[in-house]
Amino acid sequence: MSRFRLRAGTTAAVVALLGWLTVANFFPVEARRASPFLPDAGLRLGLDLQGGIHWVLGVQLDAATAHELDYVASGIRNAAEEGEFAVGEVVARDGHVVVSLPGPDDAAKVEEWAGNRGGLEVLASSPSQLELGLTAAWAKQVRERGMSQVLEVLRRRIDDPVTGIPESVVTRQGEDRILVEIPGGQIERSRAREMLRVTGFLEFKIVQDEDKTEELLLARHGGAVPAGMEVAFEREKQTNRVLAAFLVADKADVTGDFLTDARTQFDRMNRPTVGFTFNPDGGKIFGKLTEDNLHRRLAIVLDDRVYSAPTINSQITMRGEITGRFSVEEANDLAVVLRAGSLPVPVSIEEERLVGPTLGADSIARGFQASILALGLTLLFAVAYYRLSGVYASVALIANLLMLLGLMSLFEATLTMPGIAGIVLTVGMAIDANVIIFERIRDELREGKSPRAAIQTGFNRAFWTILDANLTTLITALVLYEFGTGPIKGFAVTLAIGLFTSVAAALIVTRLLYEYYPGSRPVESLSI
Amino acid sequence: MPLEIVRPGTRIDFIGRWRLWVGISLAVIAISLAAIPLRGIRLGIDFAGGTEMLLRFEAGVATDEARVRAVLEGCGVAEPSVIRYGEEVAEYLVRFGTLGDPAVVTRAVESGACPVAAADRAALDAALAGSGSKDAMGSVVDRVTFAFRNAIGPLVVERVEFVGPKVGDDLRRGGLLAIAIACALILVYIGFRFSPRFAPGAVIALVHDVAITAGVFVILGLEFDLRVLAAVLAVLGYSLNDTIIVYDRVRENMALRTKHDLAELLNLSVNQTLSRTLLTSVTTLMAVLALLVLGGEVVRPFAIAMLIGIVVGTYSSIYIAAPTLLWLETRYAQRRGKGGSGEAGRSAHPSPPSAGRGRRARA
Repeated sequence: MSRFRLRAGTTAAVVALLGWLTVANFFPVEARRASPFLPDAGLRLGLDLQGGIHWVLGVQLDAATAHELDYVASGIRNAAEEGEFAVGEVVARDGHVVVSLPGPDDAAKVEEWAGNRGGLEVLASSPSQLELGLTAAWAKQVRERGMSQVLEVLRRRIDDPVTGIPESVVTRQGEDRILVEIPGGQIERSRAREMLRVTGFLEFKIVQDEDKTEELLLARHGGAVPAGMEVAFEREKQTNRVLAAFLVADKADVTGDFLTDARTQFDRMNRPTVGFTFNPDGGKIFGKLTEDNLHRRLAIVLDDRVYSAPTINSQITMRGEITGRFSVEEANDLAVVLRAGSLPVPVSIEEERLVGPTLGADSIARGFQASILALGLTLLFAVAYYRLSGVYASVALIANLLMLLGLMSLFEATLTMPGIAGIVLTVGMAIDANVIIFERIRDELREGKSPRAAIQTGFNRAFWTILDANLTTLITALVLYEFGTGPIKGFAVTLAIGLFTSVAAALIVTRLLYEYYPGSRPVESLSI
Repeated sequence: MPLEIVRPGTRIDFIGRWRLWVGISLAVIAISLAAIPLRGIRLGIDFAGGTEMLLRFEAGVATDEARVRAVLEGCGVAEPSVIRYGEEVAEYLVRFGTLGDPAVVTRAVESGACPVAAADRAALDAALAGSGSKDAMGSVVDRVTFAFRNAIGPLVVERVEFVGPKVGDDLRRGGLLAIAIACALILVYIGFRFSPRFAPGAVIALVHDVAITAGVFVILGLEFDLRVLAAVLAVLGYSLNDTIIVYDRVRENMALRTKHDLAELLNLSVNQTLSRTLLTSVTTLMAVLALLVLGGEVVRPFAIAMLIGIVVGTYSSIYIAAPTLLWLETRYAQRRGKGGSGEAGRSAHPSPPSAGRGRRARA
């Protein structure tokens, strides 16, 4: 009897502990943190229940490869300028670099140069032309690097201490996708999206010429954009109307890569502006640029749009300011983007799931009602069909639910709507283990065994059946977890934990109750 | 007297007419296949790609389905589906597929056919300018939201589900792969725990369950999405429970009676376990019905798929898994030239398939 007491005590303690973790979820988070008696750990609500945004961003890694090829092409041009070899046209396109050559000697030299540089392979070679491509290993590395840069930039934007979005998650998904999850109500969807998707590429370019419109500007240059130049526009924010057209070099003199910091500040008129600081390298280049171009205008271009074009009055080295009729919020967001750095490759939204907070609350209420109904029906069935044994099964079922929710709270698992469906399903499936045991006990009783012997044999024989049945379901839960995303993963988690707890409840809790009554009493019949 | 849905000693001849039942199953699968070209497989946006929005117009905004649809069509969205959702509140569920050329929406905004206010239009253009995805599908949601606000009235977007075509393809491929992997793992597990000759019956029963569940979805014109896939996988695991209950009893009976007519033995085993096969399904069905009735729109497809799957799974444990076992065992006996009379279902069973483990008593 003392061993029975020990086992019963341990089981009751475990169920009570997990039940306490379960009940704690009904208290608000602040109360839990404040109270010394309530655990901090608890269920997390999935985005589909608390509301929020789930995005899968596709990273256009082909752009990273294209960048790398451009870089190779400019390396060849530089080497040629330095007299290593002579080349004609060098073009990067469609995944390879085509080098036109004056003679076969140069072909060999370029090949040697490519060999020394590494990561390149010769795709096709003729005396007059050489085609270079990235080796598979290097191309993979370039893509990997692009991916990790994008991830880092996005994380910096999301986690920014000033205007970041707390509790948000940025994770890699597969080869070229990034999953962003933002819990509800913190940020407007369109603003969050711009914070993530905007490239944030800042360039400083000396203005060569300017006018009110592109036509007027180009009229002075023979009607076409001169070589090595491009036209950039300043536009009115509300209407997108062109305010001014600037002729600038197509390659930037200084870019945002040199920034160390950017933050919102206010000018003398108390209008928000974005102040930035260069690192020493950037400061040197910027200092020289402003010194050489005193009294000319400097276009500050962000993602191909001119924000302002102040006149350079004196040499500027470390600090500068972007003005541009911002609201405070816009200035803050721009500062975040500049601090975090620009996205090396563009991203696009490939999947979006947004749930408003009221819809989430509605789902929770419905899930709760369905769980209660399922539980009620199951308990009713168990007691009506198996009487006292049904009461035992009911106790086991409730213990099972407490353990399931308690374990999920302990692991701080995420509860989703499909997850609630998984709990409801667990209620229906948990009773199955008891049904298998009870039916087996009935079989044994019919064969004329005593209640005690029937219980003993029933449990022993049902054990393997229950194990096999639940392990196969566990297999599908694991597959579901591997394959599923977001809410579906939540379903797999509840299903898997539910399988463990329901087996434990049926085999341990029900058995203990039988040991309590009838136990070793010489009963004539069993209420089953 | 205890309540009993199946009286002890019940002897229903399940196995004797196995050809009939297998025929019925094959017929249902054939009808489902025939229904595919007629009704088409309706893929939800998870798998087909597309956009779904749940809009709630603020109180006092006068609108109807036709007006919502008209705004969408003006914006160049082809064949939108608009369903009024709420009774008291003006909620609308809007869906449309991936547009062949999402830039049509941009052009519709520029031409004025898509009624986006000038200020919103400029803000959008400015916002999208730097991102290089001005005309991507993802920006269509923004444009039509502004158009609704401008043309109909203030609204809240309660839910957006947008799945790009690439993601849709991946999810579809992954879904089929998941079902295949689950089946393969179960095949291995059953082969390991019972006997390799037990495994095909269980897996054929599973494939049967998936095929019929999917078939009913096709016939009823219901949509496949991720939730349905999750339900199908749950059914895979669950319907196996019943099969295992039957198989366990078959193995136990084989160990008890070494000389036995296999068809009779299978029939006996199915009859002996009939009450638990039915009861376990009934309890789970009650839970699924609770979900179906109270769970709301979000879990409805899941509950429907589970409902069909559980019923079919119970049926297949009785009428498909056991006959497959019989058929395979008979073939096996024939090949070994032992005692097989050649007629399926009438061959004497030589020995338990897994003598060592089979002797362990099981429920």
